[in-house]
Amino acid sequence: MNALAVIGPALHRLAGELPSTAPQGRNIVAAQIAIGSLFSLHILIAGLVSGAAELGPAIEFLGYMRQRRNYDRLAHGLGRFITLYFSVSSTIAILLVTVLLVGYWGHFWTTIVTIGWWPLFIEAWTFVLQVTLAYIWYYTWDPLRGFKGVHMAIGGLLAIASFLQVYMIDVIASYMLTPTNPQNPIRLVLNPTSYPLTVHRTVGNLAYVGFVIGAFCAIRFLRAKKPEDKVFYDWAGSFGVLWGISLTLLQPVVGYSYAKEIQLHAYGSWYKMMYGTLSPLFLWQITLLGIMFLTATLYFARRLRTNGARGAGLLKAMAVGLVLTILLAAQPYHLGLTYDAVAGAGLNRPFWEGGLINPLGSMIPWKVLALMFYTLIAIAAVVWYLRGLPGVVWGAARRGEQRLLMLLAVLTIFMMVTMGFIRENSRAPFLITGEMTIQGQQNIEPTPTPQSGP
Amino acid sequence: MAHREPRRLSRRQFAFLGTQAVGAVVTLLLGIPIVGFILSPLFHRQQAVWRQVGDISGVPDRQPTKFEVSFPLDEWTNANVNLAVYVVKINSNYLVFSNVCTHMQCPVRWQSDLGQFLCPCHGGLYDITGTNIGGPPPKPLPQYVHRIDGTTLFIQNSFTESI
Amino acid sequence: MGRIAAVYDWLDERAAIRSLVRKGLYEAVPVRGAWFYTLGSATLVLILLQLVTGIFLTLVYVPSVTEGWASLNYLKQHDAFGSIVRGIHLWSAYILLFVIGLHMVRTFFSGSYKRPRELNWVTGVGLFILVLVMAITGAFLPWDQAAYWTAVVVTNVPSYTPFIGSFIRALWRGGDFVGPITLTRTFGIHVWLVPAILFPLILAHLALLRKHGEFGSYINYRGAYRRREGVDVPPAPAQRPIEPPYPAVPTDELWAAPLETEDFFPFQTFKDGLVSVVLVIVVFLLAVAIGAPLEPIADPSTTSYTPVPEWFFLPLDELLLLVPQQLIPLVLVLPAGGVLLLLALPFIDRGPERNPFERPAVMVPGAFAVLFVVILTLLGSGRLFNL
Repeated sequence: MNALAVIGPALHRLAGELPSTAPQGRNIVAAQIAIGSLFSLHILIAGLVSGAAELGPAIEFLGYMRQRRNYDRLAHGLGRFITLYFSVSSTIAILLVTVLLVGYWGHFWTTIVTIGWWPLFIEAWTFVLQVTLAYIWYYTWDPLRGFKGVHMAIGGLLAIASFLQVYMIDVIASYMLTPTNPQNPIRLVLNPTSYPLTVHRTVGNLAYVGFVIGAFCAIRFLRAKKPEDKVFYDWAGSFGVLWGISLTLLQPVVGYSYAKEIQLHAYGSWYKMMYGTLSPLFLWQITLLGIMFLTATLYFARRLRTNGARGAGLLKAMAVGLVLTILLAAQPYHLGLTYDAVAGAGLNRPFWEGGLINPLGSMIPWKVLALMFYTLIAIAAVVWYLRGLPGVVWGAARRGEQRLLMLLAVLTIFMMVTMGFIRENSRAPFLITGEMTIQGQQNIEPTPTPQSGP
Repeated sequence: MAHREPRRLSRRQFAFLGTQAVGAVVTLLLGIPIVGFILSPLFHRQQAVWRQVGDISGVPDRQPTKFEVSFPLDEWTNANVNLAVYVVKINSNYLVFSNVCTHMQCPVRWQSDLGQFLCPCHGGLYDITGTNIGGPPPKPLPQYVHRIDGTTLFIQNSFTESI
Repeated sequence: MGRIAAVYDWLDERAAIRSLVRKGLYEAVPVRGAWFYTLGSATLVLILLQLVTGIFLTLVYVPSVTEGWASLNYLKQHDAFGSIVRGIHLWSAYILLFVIGLHMVRTFFSGSYKRPRELNWVTGVGLFILVLVMAITGAFLPWDQAAYWTAVVVTNVPSYTPFIGSFIRALWRGGDFVGPITLTRTFGIHVWLVPAILFPLILAHLALLRKHGEFGSYINYRGAYRRREGVDVPPAPAQRPIEPPYPAVPTDELWAAPLETEDFFPFQTFKDGLVSVVLVIVVFLLAVAIGAPLEPIADPSTTSYTPVPEWFFLPLDELLLLVPQQLIPLVLVLPAGGVLLLLALPFIDRGPERNPFERPAVMVPGAFAVLFVVILTLLGSGRLFNL
């Protein structure tokens, strides 16, 4: 770790050179808004790019095994998307890091780069790999048509590079929430929330790109003129949603485990999310998840009914089941800010006695049941839709299904923004739990400049 | 077979029934002792015994203090087993806890920085009165059947409520 | 006629070995994808390794709460060769569980459980359960801290079964608490009872395999080359003459007999042997380099030890961590339901299609089940490093 011995002090000295006008008071809020909104935008695009870099090669491989041309066309489209939009998200990221993070949270940024130097170093190189491989993968599509094995290998490497990149940045992000001994590199990488967060984010990126494919193809379907284009976009929209829902139904398990680790290692954040100021937002999130599953099930039911394929009836029944599950999941525990505040105000009574507690929703186990039902019903819906697919005539979809696809993508974006907001605010006022606060940014004495001159 | 002699049938039938009967007898002769032997622990529970823990006058208030007590392991071995006892004094009332978690029976320990008993297996938490306040444990921390003679504590190797 | 041929004829007249050898060694097996079909024999080799090392371990181990640990400790301190045998027994068990999982996933993907091979799958699931039971019961035997607390937790899991839970626990433990009877019962189960069921079941599994022939995977059959709309299909190779055990008059023209076969010996046996020997070498290296750890002797009064589950127990332990106390019976229902689904698989998926990419209605839930178990294991893996 000799590099660290040199870079660490250098970065700290750089921190000392920064203007001591670190944000205070209202400026903190301005900084948070600026950084928060840019980060949200970055993640909304970068998540798509990462997901596309992982899903595209998978679709190409599946298409090769099933010998179907439309898979290849879809994967090719994803490759085009990556080459067009990679630079947008990386520009935002570079702007964030070099200007906003260093400028506003300089002390934090130099600290985290010192601690997580190797993960960030590896991540930088995975970006190089990702860009190189993405461009090679896209532009050698036709030249390597006779050597599909080589082309798919390039795609596979691209997927691996993309996964590694997400893993490395998640090491940093999870360290901020549940820091461990930074001197031990294994404990840094295996800090308690790094695995759950990486799995959660990887699955989420893949699901997100699936839903966006669905919405994009829905729009293209409605605008398409040629019948073979209509067939393709109809099929691709359904395919995207299938991937999206299949992966989303893994999320409750992983998310629950993530929350458990947060409870064990960052109790303040967990309390804020489950019982405190963020709990209404968390309630909104579980409801939104249910609405996503419901929309997808309705899409499946409608799409099958449009062509008279069998299975639409059971899917409608599943949709009803999902509505009931959403009602079960959406019950608030209490409507106050903190339980202590509620108890202190003497309002810890059922709401029909003038209090602020909904006793029906007071048992956390019921929410776990709701999550399990979400997962089970969604698996059943996916399987039933797959069984009914042979009866579907691609290209003959109606407008209603396509509108559901667009709604699904909008809901997904809501979900991602909600979760980002919850995550950052659950840790507030800490930037590194228990070690560094946002306010701590301006309490640093700049190190004196070295005496120059002979 | 259109025409059978009754004699041949009954011989076959007899042999058939005889084989079944023999099989049943052997099964019963073997089965009853074996099944009885396998089920025997359900009927023959070991007697609980009393052992002395020690002098508990020095136990500070609201600070769980650990003692180790040696009990006989079983009736057919001379070996002993050490059991852990947490003695907690709350306002001149004594609680005598074991270290057995009510979730999966992992060894619980007192965490003075948390002010709670913690089970390291799945994060179960009990407060100083033994009530299960966090994590998966379904019941409070079990207490030993105990009696106090003056300032000496005696416990039995059985719980006040089975877990 | 040479002397060896004369001996061969003598044996053949008395023991009919010619037909035995022909059936055993020169049976037809499919050609394509043969490296994947080595997993079954790798499982068998590792089980046999367990049998042999286990037998030799019974020459030193005593199933007693005091002598058990002492005997293994003596082995560890004073007997380097014995320690290696014990190390092989441990690492072969770990790798066996991994390989048997891969074998199940392979047969699941290739649809080898379909008619007429349903019984093969059912006996296979039975073998999987028995191997798991062997692994868990074996973990109790050293009676060090790890073994003792594994025994406590594992025997406690069935106690959450409604009505009969505490009886099951008392049966296994020999009372309310883990003690000498637990150890002797578990030893008997591990050394005699389960192997007495396991090895005949292995023979049944192999006999069924021989009866119907190795299925292989869809790329060996005419069914993979059917013309379908929107699909680019390469031309099918010509059908070679069909050899037993494949039926000469196939009932299902697409999937009954492979297009190309070769002799089991020496082609498949070479591949089987190579994979098995690589695994055995890996086991041996791990046994020498890391060996089988032995923690301090079991101490129920500890208040500083953190029990850590065996790696194959991690998914269940992670479920125990995540599930709140009101829903603990769910932790029993999920594995039990999973096993029932596994057993019922050939009767749920009855269609003739063998290509895994053409039966998503089965593959997708199967992939989820595998992903679910893998993710749970990963999530719990932090505890292996004591984080």
